[in-house]
Amino acid sequence: MSNCPASLGDRMIICENLRKSYRTGHGRREILKGLNCIINKGERLAVLGRNGAGKTTLIKQIGGVEFPDSGHIIRSMTTSWPIGFNGGFQGSLTGYDNARFIARIYGKSYDEIRDFIADFTELEGALKQPVKTYSSGMRARLAFALSLAIEFDCYLIDEVILVGDQNFQRKCQIELFEKRSDRAMIIVSHDMHAVREFCNRAILITNGIGENFINLSEAIEAYQQQ
Amino acid sequence: MASLAKGWDIQVRVIKALMLRELTTRFGRENIGFLWVMAEPLLFAVLVGLLWRAMKGPLEYGVDIVAFVVSGYIPLVLFRSVVSRAVSSFSANSGLMYHRQIKVIDIIAVRFFLELIGHMMAYLFIASTLYAFGMFPAPYDVGFLIIGWIYYSAFTLAVALVIAAASEISELVEKIVPVSTYLMIPFSGAFYFVSSLYPSAADVVLWSPPVHGMEMMRFGLFGPSIDPKYDFVYPWIFTLPCMALGILLCRIVRRRLVIE
Repeated sequence: MSNCPASLGDRMIICENLRKSYRTGHGRREILKGLNCIINKGERLAVLGRNGAGKTTLIKQIGGVEFPDSGHIIRSMTTSWPIGFNGGFQGSLTGYDNARFIARIYGKSYDEIRDFIADFTELEGALKQPVKTYSSGMRARLAFALSLAIEFDCYLIDEVILVGDQNFQRKCQIELFEKRSDRAMIIVSHDMHAVREFCNRAILITNGIGENFINLSEAIEAYQQQ
Repeated sequence: MASLAKGWDIQVRVIKALMLRELTTRFGRENIGFLWVMAEPLLFAVLVGLLWRAMKGPLEYGVDIVAFVVSGYIPLVLFRSVVSRAVSSFSANSGLMYHRQIKVIDIIAVRFFLELIGHMMAYLFIASTLYAFGMFPAPYDVGFLIIGWIYYSAFTLAVALVIAAASEISELVEKIVPVSTYLMIPFSGAFYFVSSLYPSAADVVLWSPPVHGMEMMRFGLFGPSIDPKYDFVYPWIFTLPCMALGILLCRIVRRRLVIE
């Protein structure tokens, strides 16, 4: 924690009483029913829960992709878009063109990030192909590389740390968990091995309510007992 | 103040990026590239103009017939393409919503500006080419021509904002829009001068805001001989509330948008 009281409270994300429902064939289904959580600078929060519990929904609200029905999200650090298997790209454009677009909207120089992306994703020739021809793993790699190149205070990661081969996983670990160990992360995962390795805190979503755990092992135990 | 300026910078950056992206996705980088944006209005207006010329002879209401058709057709085609491109444009671009700095209004604004630039380029190109052949007048008053364009395109943008939002709320809108844009044929003022209509008909079409813009444009082009009918205030009585409603609806729709 910071020693300076004046800066206490900045560089964090606060979710207050989030509610989110979706329209279904008959009526609305409420996914989040008043969820609370706080992410501080440098924390790595695991989001746990069964399929359909609302993990991805929570990440979308925090990333500002969707808006909660009620409740507040206060962000005082820059937040990446949710990095996952889809989203954020224009399918008809090539990987490079998407990178150029994303560099422009985040105010980064394309020339600087271009080489990093080519090197990091190892997609080579595929980067000159339209993104719609990519497998979901390839998309995730590109999204991941771009978000690293742009630099955020907080990364929202939806199931992708497990993407790709050993070599790629190792690179992700170096770039994300070693070089950027000061950044906050919110990680959605079903892989308890990865959660144990990368996270230091957890929130377990059950019936639309989030239970915050300081102790990671307790969270994993609670999740596994569900 | 600083955050306001920063927000403005971000929006300018986003609009620029979206504009370039739209140009690449729609026209590609090969051959004439973005010049394609003017191809459709250009061909349409010229062909219809020549057809009228062959059918009716060189003059219509005392002005050159091709100039008459072109000056009416291009704004009409602008309206139709802006409005039909606005339909479902949010859900079609849901990938963009992953980036928080991109607002739905930016998507509409970018498409509108691109069409506007394309149609104005086509207008300018046809006008200067025909002028060289003595088939297009030198504008009587460029200022009025531009003011007319502003009135007309502000109306277009206002309608596009409402349609964009409405098409996300109801699928019916998506079906109705292509049909209803034909309503603009009589109510755009493209195919007549108001002064040439029966007074009772003139009273009716002057309820339509774009007719005022069209009359201003044509006054700027052909001069007082066409006896233009327009009001400077009336079109805004429709356009401004319509724009405000459109922006409000877009905000509401964005909050409800489900993104894969």
